[in-house]
Amino acid sequence: MTGTTSRRGFLGALAGAAAAAPAGVAAAMAHADAAHAAGSAGSASDTAGKSAAKYDFHGAHQAGVLAPVRRSTALLALDVTAADRAGLQELFRTITERARFLTTGGRTPEVGITTVPADSGILGPNVVAGGLTVTLAVGASLFDERFGLASVKPAKLRAMEDFPNDALDRGVCDGDLLLQLEADDVDVVTHGVREILRATRGGMQLRWRRDGFASPPRPSGTPRNLMGFKDGTSNPATSDEKLMDELVWTHSGSGEPEWVEGGSYLAVRVIRMLVEFWDRVGLDEQQQIFGRFRDSGAPLTGTKEFDDPHYELDPTGAVIQFDAHIRLANPRTSATAKQRMLRRAFNYDAGIDANGNLDQGLVFTAFNQDIERQFVTVQKRLADEPLADYISPFGGGYFFALPGVKNASDWLGKGLFA
Amino acid sequence: MSQSSGPRAAKPWLWGLVAAAVIVAGAVVGVALRPAAREARSAGGTGGGAALHLNALHLNISSCGERWGDGGSATAKGGAHRFTFVNGNTGDVEVQLQEVASKKVYLEVDGVGPGATGTGSVVLGAGTYRLVCYPADADPVAGPEVEVGAAPAGAQLTPGIVPVTTNDLIPVAKAYGTWVEGRLPGLQAEVRRLDADAQVGDLVAAKRDWLTAHLDYEGLGAAYGAFGDHDAAINGTPAPGRTSLDDPQLTGFHKIEALLWSGAPAGRVAPLTARLVSDVDALAADPRTDRIDPADIGVRAHEIVENAIQFELTGETDAGSHTNLATIGANLDGSQEALSALTGLLASRYPQLADTEAALAASQKLVEGYHRADGSWTPLGALSRAQRQQLDASLDTAVELLAPVAEITEPRKALS
Repeated sequence: MTGTTSRRGFLGALAGAAAAAPAGVAAAMAHADAAHAAGSAGSASDTAGKSAAKYDFHGAHQAGVLAPVRRSTALLALDVTAADRAGLQELFRTITERARFLTTGGRTPEVGITTVPADSGILGPNVVAGGLTVTLAVGASLFDERFGLASVKPAKLRAMEDFPNDALDRGVCDGDLLLQLEADDVDVVTHGVREILRATRGGMQLRWRRDGFASPPRPSGTPRNLMGFKDGTSNPATSDEKLMDELVWTHSGSGEPEWVEGGSYLAVRVIRMLVEFWDRVGLDEQQQIFGRFRDSGAPLTGTKEFDDPHYELDPTGAVIQFDAHIRLANPRTSATAKQRMLRRAFNYDAGIDANGNLDQGLVFTAFNQDIERQFVTVQKRLADEPLADYISPFGGGYFFALPGVKNASDWLGKGLFA
Repeated sequence: MSQSSGPRAAKPWLWGLVAAAVIVAGAVVGVALRPAAREARSAGGTGGGAALHLNALHLNISSCGERWGDGGSATAKGGAHRFTFVNGNTGDVEVQLQEVASKKVYLEVDGVGPGATGTGSVVLGAGTYRLVCYPADADPVAGPEVEVGAAPAGAQLTPGIVPVTTNDLIPVAKAYGTWVEGRLPGLQAEVRRLDADAQVGDLVAAKRDWLTAHLDYEGLGAAYGAFGDHDAAINGTPAPGRTSLDDPQLTGFHKIEALLWSGAPAGRVAPLTARLVSDVDALAADPRTDRIDPADIGVRAHEIVENAIQFELTGETDAGSHTNLATIGANLDGSQEALSALTGLLASRYPQLADTEAALAASQKLVEGYHRADGSWTPLGALSRAQRQQLDASLDTAVELLAPVAEITEPRKALS
């Protein structure tokens, strides 16, 4: 009648139980999500918060990459404090195990009179999946001398540079790891943050954190950012597997190590919007800056949100200026087709600055097969765009979202140690 | 470290959870990570996909629940059991689920009022169990024994321990009190040395002796108001909106620290060092100082480190000496001392005791690394981000491991 198991035994038992999970059910639920079916990652589902969405934890890719944007997110940049390679592996295993439980849901354990409660209780005794995804990415600094990983660094992974219009505060940039939690409701995200950090107390420390939210469609289509414009309209369709394979998923070979297969480069940019200034700008100028109508989201050359801007019919930039945001970001030429990335934008609303102005903005995240070919190329093209006067990028970093956890015995980052 | 909060929150009520897992971690290589909970498939409702057994029982003065085996029999299946207890007594009742042979308790439901219903859940493995009722004003009553079979494969059992009683804790508290008592003369001598420095105007020596005396005091583990008003006088911090320097009411170590490190003349320091001598004498003379409440001893090891994290690691108590790291070192010593007093009780009850001791030792070693060869201490503000992260992670690891100590050593009733 032994009531205890060792930590490793515990993890092993857990893995066994998870293997019996009806994986297909969760996957089907995820695929049934309206926004997902629409094929756009850039849209928060109308039903978010009402549905009991569950994203299958196991797969070739981490579920949070292609899943539709949900209402609430937290980005946690962390530095690893584990002493060595074995400690780092233990950390990854623990994150994996917690993420598997949290994204699946279930009862919190009963500990009798032997210890404090096993769970913070924020979600009650029966933890709901709540549409949670937990996405783990690694930063370039993880591949320094500490863990002997230098030889397996993703080829394009490096610290984020200062772009011409940036005002980066290095205190809120970079990190060994980036964990993104995303769910239908804030409490599910908060619970996940608490439980993962509690389970990994000695292994990693928060470096910076940024919370974000995605708005519901107002009144329809892609959610709006805090400048009032729809953000993410031209995203590639996540339902197009071939396209995802060309734009999102990184492949081994061509200088990339074996283990990166199925992962993705993640660019994070935390961008303050000078909203008081912006609200003093006339509508016509605002629309010229973006190249879209504010109300409908349609390109200035079109009438509906998803209309093609048809730049070929506007060769002199008479309607959509050459330096309009959408025209620079995605010129829609065959030469730039492979520069497209999967953007997953969130808003943030985080209090005030020293002068009493609102601190609001955008938590830009984008997944890339090749961060140089995609994000970096596009960002360079956006240098000194008119929009730059109204925004101030100050945080973020480059990361590599690990390949998925393939089954119950697999764990995030396992391939790094192969 | 003088801040004190109210009494520690009462033991949390055990709500009707369905047990799914056991939280016990073994040693972890390289890094101490908190063991994580095992998932329970909600489809099955319980851990391992097994059935949840619902046991609705009535308690009264002469019986502690009906026979709760399958169909009211004396045998039950292993796995998840949820109990509800309707208290038919005229007073409160406390209920434990005890394994008869080992006397280990797997579930405790506290303070069920008359007519009220208490609930608790547990995942049981094979054994013979009984409920034990402890009515407020009557003798304990044991319920019928039920033989429980093996739990379904994969179920994570709730761990049980033999409860720690007040009687168990009395000698522990006494031993700890003796240790505190033995430290007091040294502290009294240290503050006299500090006072003598100030009286003769040797403020360089005063700074040195202030630190020695302060660390002696911090090592006593005055967390959570253990020394009551004495602590406020000896080691108080400024009132809200005030600093240690400008709070006219403040006395003790931090006031003296503020004066010494702001360059105040000896004439301003001396009255306060004299006052400190008398306040420390009063502490030493107070019979309560070395009479530790047995109920507090388990809490103390934990709370000392919580307070160190809250008030020292943040630099909040710093009044100019920048010696928070030294204070943390002294606090860790104090926590280690309180834990040591409990090892006899914990050895059979806490599988992570060795991890806990190792984590405290690792933190002590890390902190000691900031003690310079010349005797001075690295200021918190001089640490790099990586150093801060290592320090935070180390103390976090220790404090997570100390948290169960307070739960395990909470004095409980026991029927042998």
